[in-house]
Amino acid sequence: MRVQTSPRSIDHTAAADELPRRAGVGLKPEHFTGILARAPDLGFFEVHAENYLVAGGPFHHYLGRIRERHALSVHGVGLSIGAEGPLDRAHLDALAALLARYRPQQFSEHLAWSTHAGTFLNDLLPLPYTGATLRRVCTHIDEVQDRLGRRMLLENPATYLEFSESTYGEPEFITEVVRRTGCGLLLDVNNVFVSCTNHGHDPYACLAALPLDAVGEIHLAGHACEHDAAGDPLLIDSHDRAVADAVWTLYAQALELTGAQPTLIEWDGNVPPWTTLLAEARRAEAVLRAVAPTAWHEEHVA
Amino acid sequence: MNRTSTTAALALALGAALATATLPAAAGEEAANEKCFGVAMKGKNDCKAGAGTSCAATSTRDYQGNAWKYVPAGTCEQMPSPTSPTGFGQLAAFEEKQG
Amino acid sequence: MNQSAFAHALLDAARPVPDGLVAWNGSRVDLRFAVYRNNVVASLTDALTDAYPVVQRLVGATFFRAMAHEWLVDHPPRSPVLAQYGEGFAAFIAGFAPAASVPYLSDVARLEWAYVQSFHAADATPLAPAALAPALAAPELLPALRVALHPSVRTLASDYAIVSLWGAHQAERIDALPDPNRAEAALLLRPALLVHVVAIDAGTHALVCALQRGAPLGEAAQAGADADTGFDLMQALAVLIRYQAFREIRP
Repeated sequence: MRVQTSPRSIDHTAAADELPRRAGVGLKPEHFTGILARAPDLGFFEVHAENYLVAGGPFHHYLGRIRERHALSVHGVGLSIGAEGPLDRAHLDALAALLARYRPQQFSEHLAWSTHAGTFLNDLLPLPYTGATLRRVCTHIDEVQDRLGRRMLLENPATYLEFSESTYGEPEFITEVVRRTGCGLLLDVNNVFVSCTNHGHDPYACLAALPLDAVGEIHLAGHACEHDAAGDPLLIDSHDRAVADAVWTLYAQALELTGAQPTLIEWDGNVPPWTTLLAEARRAEAVLRAVAPTAWHEEHVA
Repeated sequence: MNRTSTTAALALALGAALATATLPAAAGEEAANEKCFGVAMKGKNDCKAGAGTSCAATSTRDYQGNAWKYVPAGTCEQMPSPTSPTGFGQLAAFEEKQG
Repeated sequence: MNQSAFAHALLDAARPVPDGLVAWNGSRVDLRFAVYRNNVVASLTDALTDAYPVVQRLVGATFFRAMAHEWLVDHPPRSPVLAQYGEGFAAFIAGFAPAASVPYLSDVARLEWAYVQSFHAADATPLAPAALAPALAAPELLPALRVALHPSVRTLASDYAIVSLWGAHQAERIDALPDPNRAEAALLLRPALLVHVVAIDAGTHALVCALQRGAPLGEAAQAGADADTGFDLMQALAVLIRYQAFREIRP
């Protein structure tokens, strides 16, 4: 069955099976057995799709068992939607098989590129925001949604550079992508803060300019603080520490605008003990409760 | 081995192997030559940025210019070596080898 | 901006940064571009470190990361699945002059690569030992028996004590290091969740290699005997049965 990808035909009301509007954490192999033993009360787990594009073994074993008990979000880090070249069809097929196997409530990818001429550079690289790149990104997202048979969420990037040729601001570019493809927005609040700081923009203004009615999930992560050659702050999206206070504040503001959203704590480097991750998730749930008590109540009590 | 002896040897060996290998292992028994560990395997695809903005990035290809300055210096240094009382790792000095 | 220039400049720090980059405050864009260079090199180095932890312990982190950098700038991943990244690193190490003083390093790397392959290999239920018993009822058919090995089976042979070296480095604290100058072959397999790394003799190695090629059991047994005058077929089969190396048998 081919799924129509014109904006109107994609079901924005979402399936009955969606991520709970609670906090989740990134699933790390070092926590597999502890999670199975304790069955923590969390909204969901998220995995990077590419880590599970292997034939068999413990990763699949544990993910399968954890999926039996928990909601799941699959987050791609290698599709290279912003690439000049065509999408890797074999990779897209592999993603489709992974989604068919684990039936996650959500699938997301990045507004970035990472593959060029068959070489995977393993970083989320920035692209200029022009009419040409807009058409290319939309074509790729149409292709992804078509092949996967579902709506995807696109994540706003953390960037360190801008391009002289850009004719759109990032929020306007993303708004247009969402309008043309019907995809949703994975709102990475840390990325909003990092990119705005790195490019001298007001994060609150950027946030408000994003297509917030399309948000289907939020990411929170820690960043490192460095400085550029002019001595201005240059924030690095390092995912290796606790979420910064300024990002918590921006998150609370975001929830005022979006209502409660499934919120992921991303912690990929220097992965802490489970209790530390859980404490970050609990903090996010406290913000969720404070901002959207009604939604929280329905979700949590139901 | 001719065919008959191969057949006989296989039958004998397989029979004996089955008899020994299926014996229930005593609790905690591990074959002396086996190293079996639940080695931690990480998911290698992640979203993290490398810490620091300059360390690995700005180093250029000095190996090509024979100006490589690194010498193996881990546990190989402590490895017994019949040719050197100081062990394996310390024999390395790329500049010396390059003359 | 074209992505080709961007991509090439990421991996080669001697190249100028691509045209058309700007910073809001007019600060140097090369220092901002260095964040991306660092991300690429550091993350790929980390991926190699995760795949080759014993190699890193053997030569130390400083040497390892420098050696990894030499290789990865010419061998970036061809797939977004980084579990498959690092094939060929062992061959590079074998020819890497600064590592020549650690002659077993490349073979330890081969073992670690085999470990990664076995870890992520397809799942399959191993043949139960009892399923072999009926084959004994018709011994004349044994030499022609085809044995399919478990998909996680990997083997390698070395002039060095690679299994002992690898095993010694699994402990946090290393009290005694083995003599590396003893030939060892390795059998790796993962019948369930744990990867077994077993030292096997040259004859057993030859037998397993023959089975992997699809040779019938009689021919594989002969390959074992040819490789090792002291080959003990019973011991070899016992090891394979004990570690559940067989997937299925068919006449």
